[in-house]
Amino acid sequence: MLSARNIHKSYQDRVILNGVDVDIAPGQISCVIGPSGTGKTTLLRVLCQLEKEDAGEILVDGEQNTAPWPKVTAVFQSLFLWPHLTLRENIMLPARNHNPQADKDIEGLIKLFEMNHFIDHYPNQSSIGQRQRVALARALILNPKYVLLDEITSALDVEQTARILTKLTHLKERGIGVFLITHHLGFAKRAADQIIFMSDGKVTEQGPPAILQTPTTERLKQFMSLAEIGA
Amino acid sequence: MTVWDILSNYYPAFLTGLSVTLKLCLIIWGSGLLIGSALALAGIKCPRSVGLPSRGFSFFLGGVPLIVFLFWLHYPVQAMFDVVIDPFYTAAFTLSVVNLFAVADIVRGALHDFPKQYLIAARVTGLTRGQTIFKIQLPLILREILPPLLLLQVAMLHTSLFASLISVEEIFRVAQRINAQIYRPVEIYTALGVFFLAVCLPINGFALWLKSRFTRNLSEQ
Ligand SMILES: Nc1ncnc2c1ncn2[C@@H]1O[C@H](COP(=O)(O)OP(=O)(O)O)[C@@H](O)[C@H]1O
Ligand SMILES: [Mg+2]
Repeated sequence: MLSARNIHKSYQDRVILNGVDVDIAPGQISCVIGPSGTGKTTLLRVLCQLEKEDAGEILVDGEQNTAPWPKVTAVFQSLFLWPHLTLRENIMLPARNHNPQADKDIEGLIKLFEMNHFIDHYPNQSSIGQRQRVALARALILNPKYVLLDEITSALDVEQTARILTKLTHLKERGIGVFLITHHLGFAKRAADQIIFMSDGKVTEQGPPAILQTPTTERLKQFMSLAEIGA
Repeated sequence: MTVWDILSNYYPAFLTGLSVTLKLCLIIWGSGLLIGSALALAGIKCPRSVGLPSRGFSFFLGGVPLIVFLFWLHYPVQAMFDVVIDPFYTAAFTLSVVNLFAVADIVRGALHDFPKQYLIAARVTGLTRGQTIFKIQLPLILREILPPLLLLQVAMLHTSLFASLISVEEIFRVAQRINAQIYRPVEIYTALGVFFLAVCLPINGFALWLKSRFTRNLSEQ
């Protein structure tokens, strides 16, 4: 279990996270939804310990593990592929440290994400959808236990998004805990084991996908009705 | 008297001048690149105690013409302390100082603007510190600073001719002296120009080639 306990985080005087508790279970998909600016990305950064919480604690399988990478790893919205390495090298450079079967596994990932025809290009020669798959592959080849994903499909079209999100359900079978910040409520309803609704630096409502149909808080009701219009 | 005649008659003098220019440049390039890079690194590590003063001094240097700085160190400073220093070393020192602060500016800029997201990616994928420095930071920073550093070193080679003004017997001063004897300015200065073009243009061309090659790989779509 990757757990956040009563996390508080401020930038200067602005409170961004105000007492957040979440649990990410291995083999489950936890979808985080909520309006922008409510601290979802900040929570992700604290969860993978890129950012130090002001108060509270992060527990990785019950332990306060100070550098949990790549057991806990993340893929960000802007992907952060290294521009001077080919896509294949982007995947293989960290993989060689952590996966003795990296050479074999990358072939499996190339098949899974259909990367055969562009894997030896440089990041700036590839489309955003291609880079997306590479960033995900770079994280997965490390055999992480928890993968934190921040709106990784926001720059993709409907078809590409569906393709990526479908792949995420495979991760459950591998026992990986997925923390997915997304605004694809349809996917959250169908595939999530847990929904975490955040607003104003807090987890306002949390539970099975059913809470999206029958929200108990006003804030989630309002969010869902606006989301219907947007969808 | 053709250029070839001049060269064949006076080549020992030219070679001596050339070797002085070369020595001067090796000192300027070596110390500028080494100390300048070290200064930039120290400035990033200790922004208050090293970074700020060195940036301040660099800004100040930018307001002083090089010749004024050179002459100032050559005459008044030496008179003030009542010492006589070989002009070669005065020139080497002055130009090294100018070069090292210019190098530091370039390196500092690249270090300071280094995109943090590449380091974040290195952390969450579990790269070691050594890998992060040698496989990610160093190659990316080198690609960025190599072209401007090369252009700067060529400019320093040009600037080294100013050493002739405080009687350092480098290539330009030798050319002037020979010209004073035989009065063939067209041939002598053309030969000198061609020589510098032959040395500098390939380096500048190489810098431009590096720049275009690397930006092709690095630029965002
Ligand atoms: N490094 C930072 N310094 C100052 N403010 C920040 C920083 N990172 C995020 N913020 C602020 O924190 C708030 C929450 O940001 P974020 O966690 O990115 O929200 P979300 O991902 O839910 O849209 C935003 O208002 C943002 O401006
Ligand atoms: Mg965000």
